[in-house]
Amino acid sequence: MILSLELKKLRRTGYLPIFLGGSILASAVPLVNMTVRSESFTSLPGDSFPILMDANWGMMAQLTILLVVCGCCLMYHTEYADKGDLKMNTLPIRQFSLFCGKFGVTLLAVVLSLLLQSASLAFSSIHWFADRSAGLKELVHSMGYELILLLPTLTLMLFAASLCQSMWISLGAGVILTFLGSMIHEGRLMLSLLPFAAPYRMLHAVSPEDVNTCLIICGAQTLLFAAMEMIYLDTRRKFA
Amino acid sequence: MNIIETKQLTKSYGNFTAVSDMNLHIPKGHIYGFLGPNGAGKSTTMKMFLGLTSPTFGYFTIDGKTLSSGRIPILKKIGSLIEAPAFYGNLTGEENLDIIRRILRLPKSSIGEALELTGLMEHRKRQVKKYSLGMKQRLGLAGALIGRPPILILDEPTNGLDPVGIHEIRTLIRSLPEQYDCTVLVSSHLLSEIELLADDVGILNHGHLLFEGTMEALRDYAFHAGYPADNLEETFLAMIQTDNAARKRGGFQ
Repeated sequence: MILSLELKKLRRTGYLPIFLGGSILASAVPLVNMTVRSESFTSLPGDSFPILMDANWGMMAQLTILLVVCGCCLMYHTEYADKGDLKMNTLPIRQFSLFCGKFGVTLLAVVLSLLLQSASLAFSSIHWFADRSAGLKELVHSMGYELILLLPTLTLMLFAASLCQSMWISLGAGVILTFLGSMIHEGRLMLSLLPFAAPYRMLHAVSPEDVNTCLIICGAQTLLFAAMEMIYLDTRRKFA
Repeated sequence: MNIIETKQLTKSYGNFTAVSDMNLHIPKGHIYGFLGPNGAGKSTTMKMFLGLTSPTFGYFTIDGKTLSSGRIPILKKIGSLIEAPAFYGNLTGEENLDIIRRILRLPKSSIGEALELTGLMEHRKRQVKKYSLGMKQRLGLAGALIGRPPILILDEPTNGLDPVGIHEIRTLIRSLPEQYDCTVLVSSHLLSEIELLADDVGILNHGHLLFEGTMEALRDYAFHAGYPADNLEETFLAMIQTDNAARKRGGFQ
């Protein structure tokens, strides 16, 4: 019910066109890259999928993070613009469940975006690396991993957007953090697992023993940011 | 029987006390007019009833329930319009009401009923951001009335309406207790408004309840206290001025 409610609130906000457009843009990255300079990549040794990810994922991840930032800001802007949140607060519904609904909608949008990007990577693999194309299983594992690594960014961004009544503050902070994340993701493991940096990590580039550590840390961060939202909602009412 | 009661209800923000030691008694099935100048604490009291802000001291009961039993059981009984109408401007009037309907788990017919009551039926398909101020106020009322809640909390519901709209909304509110067996708490800073609407009145100034009782009791009180009693507007103004003067002399904050 909450999910459909949050989806309904997004009518005429441009949320769907933004996510669709951004996802198409992210999906176009490997296609354009391979079309323009396919020989640079097909001449490299190894399976197709790691080559494609190394060549394109940085840009694709950055676009996906920017989509998450825009999506979260837009959702809370819709709440605050005409005080819709005030009406929600006077109805018999838990405020945290509205946050969970927004989390669900963004997660759904990110999954759809990653599916589109996966399709583009699969096409590139089949079309340009016909003889050494990676299997579907590898693609699914890799994208599943990226989805989990995106969760802390998503939750933190939703939390930040819920804090700021002015969309421009959360949007500005999100864009700055996106570029900051792109600069620190190649550092030490703990640093590269911070929100906005973690989504740049690729499954094939992580040692098998580090994979579980990454997933656990990202899961814990997601829960932490959700808990922060709960505390914030409680505190806001006490001091309102 | 009182459906809403407060006991020493107090709300402070640092050194400023918005609501002080308030003991309200709102009888079931009545229209209770909450009267006071701007900043008297009317909206703060209403916000406390809706769990939007917590009391600093004291407590209240709504239909026998307190905040300690959670906001949700209390909010299930209340329809409200607080401060300015709140809505989603990107949605139509009908879609806004549909969101409320889904949360309250009401039948689809309740939307049409609320739109009819507030005279918004023909504008239901228009985006709310294109509504006039009066239409937004009506939509806020529709959002409060949907599902016929047993308690209505309306904060200055006629704000922004033209004289015809004010008359219509006043007539509607006046008919609600009889039609839907509900209790209405309505605030205003205009005594003429409350005089035409309410069965009981509570007069508030600087967070203090100066008077509570029926309109008749207010006239009697004014007569005995030496306030002008023929015109309630003057009674109200005299009460507020006397209280303000006493505060100045007593060095109240």
